[in-house]
Amino acid sequence: MIELVDVTRRYQKGSITTDVLKGVSFRVAAGEYVAIMGASGTGKSTLMNILGALDQPTSGHYRLDGQDIAGMDDDALSALRNRKIGFVFQQFHLLERTSAVTNVLLPLIYRDEEMPDAEARSIRALEAVGLGDRKHYSPGELSGGQQQRVAIARALITDPALLLADEPTGNLDARSGADVLALFGKLNDGGRTIVLVTHDRAVAEHARRIIVLADGRVVADHPVERRRDAAEAVAAAAAGTQGDAATPP
Amino acid sequence: MKLSRTIRLSLHILAAHKLRTLLSVVGGVVGVASVILMVAVGRSAEASVLARIRAMGTDMLMISAAPPRLVAGRERQGEIVASLLPADVSVLRDECAGIVRAAGAFDKSMVARHDSSNVTTTVQGLAPEGLVIRGFALETGRFHDDDDERTRRRVAVIGPVVAVNLFGGRDPVGLPIRLGTVPFEVIGVTSARGADANGVDQDNVILVPLETALRRLFNVPHLRTIYLQAQDSAMLARVEADVRELLRARRRLGDGQVDTFKILNQATLLDSQRQTARFLTLLIGSVATIALLVGGVGILAVMTMSVRERTREVGLRRALGARRRDILVQFLLEATILAGLGGLVGASLGLLGSALVGASWSVAVSWPTVVTAFCTAVVVGLLFGIYPAHRAATLAPVAALRAE
Repeated sequence: MIELVDVTRRYQKGSITTDVLKGVSFRVAAGEYVAIMGASGTGKSTLMNILGALDQPTSGHYRLDGQDIAGMDDDALSALRNRKIGFVFQQFHLLERTSAVTNVLLPLIYRDEEMPDAEARSIRALEAVGLGDRKHYSPGELSGGQQQRVAIARALITDPALLLADEPTGNLDARSGADVLALFGKLNDGGRTIVLVTHDRAVAEHARRIIVLADGRVVADHPVERRRDAAEAVAAAAAGTQGDAATPP
Repeated sequence: MKLSRTIRLSLHILAAHKLRTLLSVVGGVVGVASVILMVAVGRSAEASVLARIRAMGTDMLMISAAPPRLVAGRERQGEIVASLLPADVSVLRDECAGIVRAAGAFDKSMVARHDSSNVTTTVQGLAPEGLVIRGFALETGRFHDDDDERTRRRVAVIGPVVAVNLFGGRDPVGLPIRLGTVPFEVIGVTSARGADANGVDQDNVILVPLETALRRLFNVPHLRTIYLQAQDSAMLARVEADVRELLRARRRLGDGQVDTFKILNQATLLDSQRQTARFLTLLIGSVATIALLVGGVGILAVMTMSVRERTREVGLRRALGARRRDILVQFLLEATILAGLGGLVGASLGLLGSALVGASWSVAVSWPTVVTAFCTAVVVGLLFGIYPAHRAATLAPVAALRAE
């Protein structure tokens, strides 16, 4: 499904070169739920950009669903992002003053084929994240958790091979964060491959496997022994305790 | 990406950001509206100048006694001014083939009185044929005729300005009036006709029979002006040549001598006025074109700012699979829609303004100008949209997504 072989990424700013990734290799099989962890400055974001085909490795190989992205041109990368990857961002990145339905169907407008059922698909995706009754609300009229669920619906509308989430709970309160993680758990139970990038161990422990980055290298890669139960977290957050966010790593 | 979907999305985005849209449209609106309005105003002015000259008759020639010439720094008058005689009128009428009417005239600024009011105005002795040549029309009363002329009756036809100034709202026909010290009777009031081609108010005038003016008012034997009407305006140049030859012969002017009279050709006047008006239209048209360009710069500014503001949106779209050219097309489309919208609103405002400015707007509005202004607005919008669109399209998706 995902295969990284000795991926490096070097940034050149004037005469200063920085090696952010120094040879990262791992595989993720279809249906896995992986958290990539690391403090800031460890190359986490760079890795996430490469996994999302937003950026190219300086050397090494990245194969996604059988396709090697090294050497792809910009248009091919765009098409790959459109068909294979669903993004969920920390800041939601929804279009302001635009209804949830329109936000969700946005990826479909970048396809060449006719999509007469785009709106119906968008509504189905919103229903799948529990927002069927909010489909005509604009982001300003939705809570943070609801906005992130709209973003998840948008990521899912193309039925991507990989759901890639970058600190999806970073801008949310404990309750909404737990909701979002519960949704991820449910999606993974349904067979969806998820890669979640976070600095927060409590969030990472909702996944089935954790890859830890430090200084541009993988320093740990292990299954989660005691997986956190999102439903419990939701209940805990609802009961007024701080839940996940306050749990020490 | 399907174009219809892109257009729908662009329209949706423009509608969602009303203030931003409004700001970018304003430039185009002002530009297009001002071009249309300015050109319409210019053409209105041109049309009214031409109409005024036509009303005076494009088949008219005016002969005036030559103005005083400067000789050795001193004005020389005397026999030159007195050289235009009533006899010239009948000779011209009889011997010049192309002339259908001829009338002598003499005018002078005088004080006119009625009761206690008095005004200074131009009193013109004008033979009855002259009233026809110059195209005067009556509001009330009658014109003086050949009978008045023969008996040197002291009757006066007054212009509407004089009527108001001397008589207020009353009907002046039949009322007495004094020109200088000589008593006259008002027999008619002319219709308003505005200024002539030289800017002289033709409504602030008192017309009296020529003979009355020469013998009983000014006591002079000569004329100041002769008005001639040619058979048609096409013959004007030939008639002018004939008249010149005839007058020179009557004055026994040799080959080397200059004319002691001046012939004013209405067609020549018309031409120069038309040129002036054209130049005026061109001038204000170019000022308005600058306004249109400024409008385009406005679009450029707003689009550039909009791209900056929408950097994250561009990043998101790129992440969701938009290719560079999708972003480019979207921003160009938005710029074109904005410019087109500005052009449409501007054209409507310009037409509305033109309609308000001149009641004779069908004459004034220039449809080629409307079309040109609209197309220019769209092209300018498109051209000025290219730079921000290109900037947006070439943003690195990663950097764009992280932009604040």
